[in-house]
Amino acid sequence: MNAGSPPATAQGTRTQCTGGLVADDFISFSKVTKDFGSLRVVEDLELDIAQGEFVSLLGPSGSGKTTLLMMLAGFETVTGGEIRLDGQRINDLPTYKRDMGVVFQNYALFPHMTAAKNVAFPLEMRGTPRAEVADRVARALEMVKLGPFAGRLPIQLSGGQQQRVALARALVFEPRVVLMDEPLGALDKQLREQMQLDIRELHHRLGLTIIFVTHDQDEALTMSDRIAVFNQGQIQQCAPPRHVYDSPANRFVAEFIGETNLLAGKVRAIDGRAITFALPDGSICRARGVPGLAPGAEALLSLRPERIGIGAADAAIDGPNIARGEIADIIYQGDHLRVVIDSSVGRLVAQLGRKDAEWTPGAKVAVSFDEADGWVIAP
Amino acid sequence: MNRLSRPRAFLLMSPLLLFLGLFFVWPLVSVIWQAVSDPAISRVLPRTAAEIGGWGGEGVPSDEVQAAFREDIVANTDDMAMGDVTRRLNSSQSGFRSLMGKTVREVRETPDIALIEIDDRWGETAFWKAIQDNASPYTDAFLLSALDLQRAGSGEIEAMPAGSSANRTIILRTLWISAIVTLCCLLIGLPYAMIAASVTGWKRAVMIAAVLLPLWTSLLVRTAAWMIILQESGIINQVLMGIGIISDPLVLIYNRAGVVIAMTHVLLPFMVLPIYSVLLTVPGNLMSAAASLGAHPVRAFLRVLLPLSLRGMISGMLLVFMSSIGYYITPALVGGASDQMISSVIAFYATQSANWSMAAALGLILLVLTLLLYALYNRLSRDPVPTR
Amino acid sequence: MKLARAIYAALIIFFLVAPLLVILPLAFTSSAFLTYPIPSFSLRWFEELVVRSVWSRAILNSLIIAGSTTVLATALGTLAALGLRSLGLGLRGQIQTLFLLPMVVPAVVLGVGMQAIFVRVGINSTYFSVIAAHTVIAIPFVLISVSGALAGIDPRVERAAESLGASPPRVFALVTLPLAMPGVLSGAALAFATSLDEVVLTLFVAGPNQRTLARQMFSSLRENISPAIASAAFIIIVGTVLVAAALLLLRRKRA
Repeated sequence: MNAGSPPATAQGTRTQCTGGLVADDFISFSKVTKDFGSLRVVEDLELDIAQGEFVSLLGPSGSGKTTLLMMLAGFETVTGGEIRLDGQRINDLPTYKRDMGVVFQNYALFPHMTAAKNVAFPLEMRGTPRAEVADRVARALEMVKLGPFAGRLPIQLSGGQQQRVALARALVFEPRVVLMDEPLGALDKQLREQMQLDIRELHHRLGLTIIFVTHDQDEALTMSDRIAVFNQGQIQQCAPPRHVYDSPANRFVAEFIGETNLLAGKVRAIDGRAITFALPDGSICRARGVPGLAPGAEALLSLRPERIGIGAADAAIDGPNIARGEIADIIYQGDHLRVVIDSSVGRLVAQLGRKDAEWTPGAKVAVSFDEADGWVIAP
Repeated sequence: MNRLSRPRAFLLMSPLLLFLGLFFVWPLVSVIWQAVSDPAISRVLPRTAAEIGGWGGEGVPSDEVQAAFREDIVANTDDMAMGDVTRRLNSSQSGFRSLMGKTVREVRETPDIALIEIDDRWGETAFWKAIQDNASPYTDAFLLSALDLQRAGSGEIEAMPAGSSANRTIILRTLWISAIVTLCCLLIGLPYAMIAASVTGWKRAVMIAAVLLPLWTSLLVRTAAWMIILQESGIINQVLMGIGIISDPLVLIYNRAGVVIAMTHVLLPFMVLPIYSVLLTVPGNLMSAAASLGAHPVRAFLRVLLPLSLRGMISGMLLVFMSSIGYYITPALVGGASDQMISSVIAFYATQSANWSMAAALGLILLVLTLLLYALYNRLSRDPVPTR
Repeated sequence: MKLARAIYAALIIFFLVAPLLVILPLAFTSSAFLTYPIPSFSLRWFEELVVRSVWSRAILNSLIIAGSTTVLATALGTLAALGLRSLGLGLRGQIQTLFLLPMVVPAVVLGVGMQAIFVRVGINSTYFSVIAAHTVIAIPFVLISVSGALAGIDPRVERAAESLGASPPRVFALVTLPLAMPGVLSGAALAFATSLDEVVLTLFVAGPNQRTLARQMFSSLRENISPAIASAAFIIIVGTVLVAAALLLLRRKRA
């Protein structure tokens, strides 16, 4: 498993999150701050997004991700800093002149207009000729497979259909950016997964720039080119899904995305990208880690459960990255097993395929992991 | 659009604020002002009124005060207004009628004549005291007399002689009738609201529609309907006589019974709706839960349902009581002479005897009472008190 | 137990509804008395309403006054409801309480005060004084009804309109107002009904030339109870129902 190039990391309180797929920055936030009264919900935030990129803003509720989207759409004023779109400062540009398609959490369809009227609305606002409006509305509804439902009012449509009307409405006027605020939150799981694929497909086909707010990590991992992980008004890490998962920048990201085992210890030595890590029981292991660690520093070793291997304890293997222990519990989860092990380095959770079902609680085992799968972060 | 904007909000509200300021607040302020103001003396005798305030109430006032009094008499040209002043002073201190007539005549002839030379009574403290007492442009006399009280010559508050005024009787009657109506509404409305909350579907719809229908119908039409029903040759008497229960018609109208029946009908929705809406928030399976825990239905009712509906009951009772104390139309039409409530008396003072000050004083009492009840009601419906 | 409850409920429903039903047939009585049984049906009392000028004048006055009150109260109340909406919660509650006070203050007290100031300004016993008085007590109904409709609008819908390119005035015209319209219309209907039924303030601020239908009914109930009252009641009930139906129809057409 290759950890790839060094990921962007947290640097103190301010997070640099620049450089996407394309060289020029289409949308850029610089030192953006937002206060509600005395409460600071976004602090000195930096984020650059390239044209055609799909960026997810992921974080727990109250982390500032939605506020950031609201500032970009113009629904909230910016307390400090600057937001630029295509080189133009848009801090004080009213929402209706920003040319951004917004898909709202509960769709926010106009309840007194039919699906077609809803979709026609942004075109009419722009003075598009009547014939062209009809044509583009029809095509937009076709695109989201809602052609036959054009004449229905929102209450006559199912949740999924309403969602697709909202999508068509946000896309029909070919906005410069599409903003989505947890657009799939109200749908059931199956429909949500279908919509995730549909939106991804539209993104590729139309070359849209999409900023997508979610608190669902699977959704963010599935859809994004890059994920910006938010906590307490700051971006903790902004990187492609694989980096965020494999090479979390800090403890918050490691714990927020996926599940992980965190073992406290000390950095013994650093040799290029390889880190020698000492665990409290005296054992030594080798792993990769975030840049900026110094030998002798306290640190955490993050081990993803599915990267932990289990072998028979009596096997006469020894060396780094191996600990001995006893299985405390095994939980059957359908497509995999979760194995809880009390080991010499502490309690570990491992995830095994169904084929490894021969283990039973109480068995003495040896656990091991690959050098490239251990990830050391600051405590 | 959505951002909170105070200037925009006030701009939009300003026409209504202006309108209510002119046609709602101003009238009420004028009622309050009229109830406590008594400008008769301070208008006719402005200099005296200004000077006599400094007099300590011993002996007779200084020469400056007496000079101001003479100047006022000379300056006044309105004999009607002076007549008012004389009447007012005479009611505080008898003897003023002859004294003032004489004094005005003499002072007009010789403006700097010493008052004591006109009449010995100007040497008595009591007469000057009466002027001082009445000199203020404000008075509590109307408010006191609205409660059948007055100030004795010594300034003490005392009861008016029995039989001279019936205001207190009428206020007590208003409260009493309102209490009876509130109780009737509670006795009828509480079980009704509980039944309405416990049934579902069309049954509930019918029960609630029956409450809302009268609410939407003209009050005048409803009162007229009750007059038709209750009158001597009305439906109730016809039915009762038809089936032979009574031989002579019952007197149901122009008496207390008629007032209570018609007002209960008119105000019942205000009792049912608050109780009903509180009961709707009570989970339906609570009574079942109580039963499963071993509570007899009666005990379950007393221990569970009744405490839970208490809030609605109190809201309803406040609403009904508050509305009934200010009622005019129904008692005026269905009641007899001894069933008239405070509103009728206010209307009588204002429209027939043109006694604005008394109308305003009684109105102020009614207004304060109503606003207190409303404040209580508002408080109760604003912050939800957790019910045990 | 169940039967007792059903009988009780039926009795109270009867108590609530029967009086309203009693008065309607009497509008068509041929008798000179407002009593049952009705000897035969006739329209003579409706004729009386049209022919006798005290009644026909009163009906005309009621229409003029209720119509003007509706327009004025709806305009003022709707504007204020829109203003209240963009206020913070605390201040909103206090101002709303002020706006609802006319519903609470005893009509007689308000009437005494209104008469005093109208007389002082010299506009008592004019159409204006009656319309202003009726508007004061009609406003709470408009305000409650419009505020309710506005509270039902998801603010995100308006944000959506803005993000789709609608300027604030267009958001108001195309989204906010159409969505609030049901509340505005029912507020208008309530204002009309309130004015139609108003007696107490009218006693104080109207002169003989502004005698309304309700005022006329009130005096004839006091003086001589004639079936013309039932006919007038019939007209009030039918009038209220018609206005409500018309507004409902209008609303359906717009949707």
